[in-house]
Amino acid sequence: MTTPVRVHVVFSEGFSNQYTHGENEFDLEVKNFRGIIKQLDDRFPGLGAHLEDETSVAIDGQIHENTAYFQSIRDGSEIYFIPKLEGG
Amino acid sequence: MNEIKSPYKWVGKNNIRPDGVPKVTGTAKYSNDYTLPGTLFGKILRSPHAHARIKSIDTSAAEALPGVKAVLTAEDFPDQNFDYIGPDRVAVNFWHVTRNILAREKVLYEGHAVAAVAAIDASTAAAACKLIKIDYEVLPHAIDVDFAMRDDAPLLFEDMIPRGIEPTPTKPSNISKRLEFKLGDVEAGFAEADIIVEKSFKTAAVHQGYIETHSCLARYDADGQGEIWSSSQGHFVVRGLTAKIIGMKLADLKCNPAELGGGFGGKTVVYVEPVAMGLSKKAGHPVRIAMSRDEVFKATGPTSGSSIDIKMGIKKDGTITAGQGEFRFQAGAFPGSPVMNGCLCAFATYDIANQHAVGYDVVCNRPKAAAYRAPGSPMAAFAVESVIDILAKKVGMDPLELRLKNAAHIGTQNIAGPKLAHEGYAETVQACLDHPAYKVKLGPNQGRGAASGYWFNGAGESGATVFVNTDGTATIATGSPDIGGSRQSMAAMAAETLGIDYDQVRATVNDTTSVPYTHVTGGSRVTFATGLAVIQACDKVIDELRARAAMIWDVDVEGVIWENGMAKPASHNVGEFEPLSYGEIAAKAPATGGPIGASGAVNAGGQAPGFATQFCDVEVDPETGKVKILRFVAAQDVGTAISPAYVEGQIQGGVVQGIGWALNEEYIYDDQGRLSNAGFLDYRIPVASDLPMAIEPVLIEVPNPNHPFGVKGVGEVCICPPMAAIANAIADAVGRRMTELPMSPPKVLDAIDNRGEAEL
Repeated sequence: MTTPVRVHVVFSEGFSNQYTHGENEFDLEVKNFRGIIKQLDDRFPGLGAHLEDETSVAIDGQIHENTAYFQSIRDGSEIYFIPKLEGG
Repeated sequence: MNEIKSPYKWVGKNNIRPDGVPKVTGTAKYSNDYTLPGTLFGKILRSPHAHARIKSIDTSAAEALPGVKAVLTAEDFPDQNFDYIGPDRVAVNFWHVTRNILAREKVLYEGHAVAAVAAIDASTAAAACKLIKIDYEVLPHAIDVDFAMRDDAPLLFEDMIPRGIEPTPTKPSNISKRLEFKLGDVEAGFAEADIIVEKSFKTAAVHQGYIETHSCLARYDADGQGEIWSSSQGHFVVRGLTAKIIGMKLADLKCNPAELGGGFGGKTVVYVEPVAMGLSKKAGHPVRIAMSRDEVFKATGPTSGSSIDIKMGIKKDGTITAGQGEFRFQAGAFPGSPVMNGCLCAFATYDIANQHAVGYDVVCNRPKAAAYRAPGSPMAAFAVESVIDILAKKVGMDPLELRLKNAAHIGTQNIAGPKLAHEGYAETVQACLDHPAYKVKLGPNQGRGAASGYWFNGAGESGATVFVNTDGTATIATGSPDIGGSRQSMAAMAAETLGIDYDQVRATVNDTTSVPYTHVTGGSRVTFATGLAVIQACDKVIDELRARAAMIWDVDVEGVIWENGMAKPASHNVGEFEPLSYGEIAAKAPATGGPIGASGAVNAGGQAPGFATQFCDVEVDPETGKVKILRFVAAQDVGTAISPAYVEGQIQGGVVQGIGWALNEEYIYDDQGRLSNAGFLDYRIPVASDLPMAIEPVLIEVPNPNHPFGVKGVGEVCICPPMAAIANAIADAVGRRMTELPMSPPKVLDAIDNRGEAEL
């Protein structure tokens, strides 16, 4: 059994205004990255799909272009969901 | 050329490029070189108006013309739901996409496709287009972004309510979307400042200027399957977009890559592919469409023109206390400019505690904007880096020293929130400061300017397959069209991983049925992400090679290690065996279990951002306003340069395109909203005589720890600094601050002649 870790999650202002009534910081206890999406989706139904489709994620400053279940986290991780990045 | 001391055998070396011989001998196949029996000529009829309502389309006369096999209008495509699908920056609204491919209710720019014809030859297709009768109600138009935002501007979409504004507006607007990002308290930051500088800037829409025009060959079969050969930066994306617009299943559409005559971001979308496929479906024959240069300029996406306000505050000691920007970007005829990137990149090279950025995505009667190297960032860099130059003069600091003092480092918070996890920026500034050319004395009317740039760099989904051949060679198949040397880089990383020689590896770009899904070649992502997929596939192959060696030696696989391209016993306890080479095991493949191969597939993250700092010297002719570039030095953090010559080429190419953006390139519209310079004679991309004898790339290798070979993207950030570097050099030379691109001779001359006092 994976040991739960505590993580701090932050949304951009635009994203939180659109989907979470302006609430943009969350402290969560989860076993893996999938747990973050699931807990937030439980609280704001439908949010998980928006996170997967519309955001990139920065975990402790490391940018991941796509929000995906397998990304690794640690106790105390700072997680920013930011608008999806795309280049030329 | 930079001297790279690489610890590797093949990575970091200028290996022979696999596309060299086919390209110089003319045998390389571009999309227009492919042909099929019975292929018809496709031609697109385009709007002569910048903005008009389509009252009716009558195709009967065209259909009756002998030799015409099919006529296509938007009515032949299924309409799409109005829904923004996918990520915000590239939110694809297929209601918009299908209307850009073929207009429905309105035409929204000169050159907008309205109908298409497939015929037995080009002249018949052209004649048929002339027989299509379209009744237009011509409407007033909006070209300039600031004009398009006005309340009294003609509306492209009468029901478009801006997103991102609270409370939601009740009136429609050409503003598609408003974005806002904040960090700290910007007002407190300005209160803390000793000096505040505010400036407004405008940048012209500029085209990517790829030499090969858009073209494709499409075949729709009677059983509902289809195949496309096209000029594209991503044939999987061609497949996805075309299938959606036509109404096909992904599995029924095979898309083939081709050699590419330039893309620079502009070939990450589709224009002709769905039209050719639609015509083929109606005609029962393959159809080829190839755009003319005129069509490329009038109907394909340039990058956005922009209008930007920047306000920055600084203390006398050179500490920047606040940065604020409003970014208004032309999206073209449909929403979707890279304004968000502009907001996020504008101040990203600096550690500024208080930031505020607001962006507006604005539709106007121009072709829909498309990506162009680091989309959104160069415009922001022009504005911010010009203001940085003014700040340096105000506080009496060298402009590079000011940048170094305020440089972002690991832990610096970005305006989007995350803290920077990679170094590299300060190193580029220091490299310019240390460069001998930075100390060269300048003459009359000469000036020196510096600027920096930031780009996120991309990653994401890529796939690759490695095949072990029985003669000891390896074939590397990826789905990344090679526009910057990726075949050489993939082969070098595979050779290094497998432990075999580079000339034993052949890298290919394969179609959508032959490799796992791979996102576009863009965003400086391929060497990183597709490289990871190749390395993953190679690691799987090595595991299999170890297993085959174990079978030959009749030992457990755990007792076999892989070193320098050889299977070896892990210890003396395993047994005394002579090492088996890659080639020896490959030759035994039939006897040990059959073909050896493996696929890798990644959704890669952990890419590192790109940083660049450049300086140039210019000489301004005070009688003509012509700006001559004397010298250009371009320092860039490149991670590990897998193929140094290619990396240098990317940097030099980015600088050249930046010089064109700075000095000459612009779309010139007449009072009817029609483009007046839709050709390379009048749209001035740089030629050799516009460039200095040397554009000197300085490669700074700060490896990315998230990649086995330290790869960072290198293809885009190099285009961010040149516009501001040149503007700053002009200000240094003649004391005039140019705030509008292009800084063409008439504008520079006007600034010299008609502005009274010297400006910072």
